[in-house]
Amino acid sequence: MKKDAVLRVENLKKYFPVRKSLFEFMSSKKEEYVRAVDDVSFSVQEGEVLGFVGESGCGKTTMGRTILRLIEPTSGRVYYEGIEVTSLDRKRVKSLRRKMQMIFQDPHGSLNPRRTVADILSQTVKIHGLANGKTEEDELIKNTLEEVELKPTEEFWDRYPILLSGGQRQRVGIGRVLILQPKLVVADEPISMLDVSVRIGILELLLRLRDKFGISFIYITHDLSTARYVCDRIAIMYLGKIIEIAPTEDIINKPLHPYTQALVSAVPVPDPTVKMHELPIKGYVPLIPAEVFSSCRFYPRCLHTRKKCREEEPPLIEVGHDHYVACIKAK
Amino acid sequence: MALLEVENLKIYYFTREGAVKAVDDVSFSVDRDETLGLIGESGCGKTTAVFAIMRFVAPPGRIVGGKIIFDGNDIITMSNEEIRLLRGKGIAMVFQAAQNALNPVMTVGKQITEVILEHERITKEESWERAKRQLELVGIGSERVKNYPHEFSGGMKQRVMIAIATACNPRLLILDEPVTGLDVIVQRQLLTLINKLRKELRLPIIFITHDLSVIAETCGKVAVMYAGKIVEQASTVSLYENPVHPYSQALIRAYPSIKGEKRGLKSIPGAPPRLINPPIGCRFHPRCPYAVNICREEEPIFRKKNGHLVACHSIK
Repeated sequence: MKKDAVLRVENLKKYFPVRKSLFEFMSSKKEEYVRAVDDVSFSVQEGEVLGFVGESGCGKTTMGRTILRLIEPTSGRVYYEGIEVTSLDRKRVKSLRRKMQMIFQDPHGSLNPRRTVADILSQTVKIHGLANGKTEEDELIKNTLEEVELKPTEEFWDRYPILLSGGQRQRVGIGRVLILQPKLVVADEPISMLDVSVRIGILELLLRLRDKFGISFIYITHDLSTARYVCDRIAIMYLGKIIEIAPTEDIINKPLHPYTQALVSAVPVPDPTVKMHELPIKGYVPLIPAEVFSSCRFYPRCLHTRKKCREEEPPLIEVGHDHYVACIKAK
Repeated sequence: MALLEVENLKIYYFTREGAVKAVDDVSFSVDRDETLGLIGESGCGKTTAVFAIMRFVAPPGRIVGGKIIFDGNDIITMSNEEIRLLRGKGIAMVFQAAQNALNPVMTVGKQITEVILEHERITKEESWERAKRQLELVGIGSERVKNYPHEFSGGMKQRVMIAIATACNPRLLILDEPVTGLDVIVQRQLLTLINKLRKELRLPIIFITHDLSVIAETCGKVAVMYAGKIVEQASTVSLYENPVHPYSQALIRAYPSIKGEKRGLKSIPGAPPRLINPPIGCRFHPRCPYAVNICREEEPIFRKKNGHLVACHSIK
């Protein structure tokens, strides 16, 4: 692991217990867990955008929240600039939250409908004590609104979220994060609920903030084509584990893990002359993935299995420059 | 005459603040061997337009003008009984977020037989046989006919919805955002299924989506909607290669692709207008980089260019 990483995650795990029925409880059935995040390690450099891509239920959102300690991890360590986040008490976590923030998926649900845009931002300013007095606060809010391109600021100042479009709401959400001058932002599907015509605008904004303030992003999405547009590196998750992580164009153009290959070829292309081919995958994602894996977790769906795949879980190994894969075939 | 002809359809929602012109003078047609894609951003009126085809428009919404001719009969003037017979049998629809439209306390088989028994005079046993065949058709084993919806994943539920919609051999199928919210792999499996059904059952389809790439993989012909109006109609290949209307151009440029070189994308400035008080003239003019005076004053009419029907003043 490199030294200057803003964030370092080591062997992070989050298990959720599966609820048992009374009968199962009485018969003392063994405790079962959904392994939402199962031994994940990675690091994020300053100003880097690291994408986490996977299907729903692969644990990418849980992972993002666990890093910020919005959910307590089962085990593992998270370091922010060398400080171990996972062992901090609540007070210290709060002061650290200034530096580690989150942008949520649903811009309609994450803003208080009874507060105006300025109120929403001023609440953040007050909670974290960012300003001395009203003038300084207003100045700060005004600058932030300009930064997220809600201009002219007077026009948006007293508006309620209901009078904003989806894209504008998401900009308020980004402003609320930006006003704290964070170093690391977890963006959880920030554009999936927005219209196509405004999506790119939000992505451009994120990239501009990265360039201007050196903010690092963890960009969580199910959409490889937009991830390609913003991410420096992409990690592919399957059932709680990173199965491949590499620079973006390597993931898109030479995916090595069979799951990544299936995922890449499943992405629809906006070109009617491209024909759909058969997907190199079989079966479905299990409904409740409570199984303990002694084999490769992709084994049941893989088309290239060998005997060894059934016997042990392959580790994530480096196969090329900065390209890591968890598959025995990729050596 | 085409199977379905929609002419100058107008649907307004009458709210306290005034009439919202959700669909304003929209015309399109679907022939017996066609797949039409309706594409546009949320709130552009695409769902409202097809709701009218099933006569689902309810107050405060009202069809205020136009004709919808299906197989020679005007749907707007049909009696309620005629509409009841038409729904499911003549035209069937799979709704948005259809996964949640299944009845959770009824087996999927029961839900399929319900439609069949409503429309056809056959025995219960026969209808269950049909239900099994339907499940096989959409790639679910017939042994799952007695399963409840919660035993299926999102993509499987969507398959069940398609099985219900095609149970009575409708002559037109409407799919409203059928793959939105599903994972890419499941999405691809469903699109493959839809393409297979279209060929095997020779079923004309209206496909509603906001996703350009989904249209590219399924539809022969596309209509682009913006703010309650169709702005361009063309064959899919031609539209993607040479979009004529500035909105279609902008939409295609704003769409990222995983194939080929990574290219620069451009967002469209501004946001779609509110339809209670749409811009005068061309509705796209506040966001259009080529807007001139006439665009702010007069509504453009449809003209032909390169085989496209386009409503834009820039075409002479």
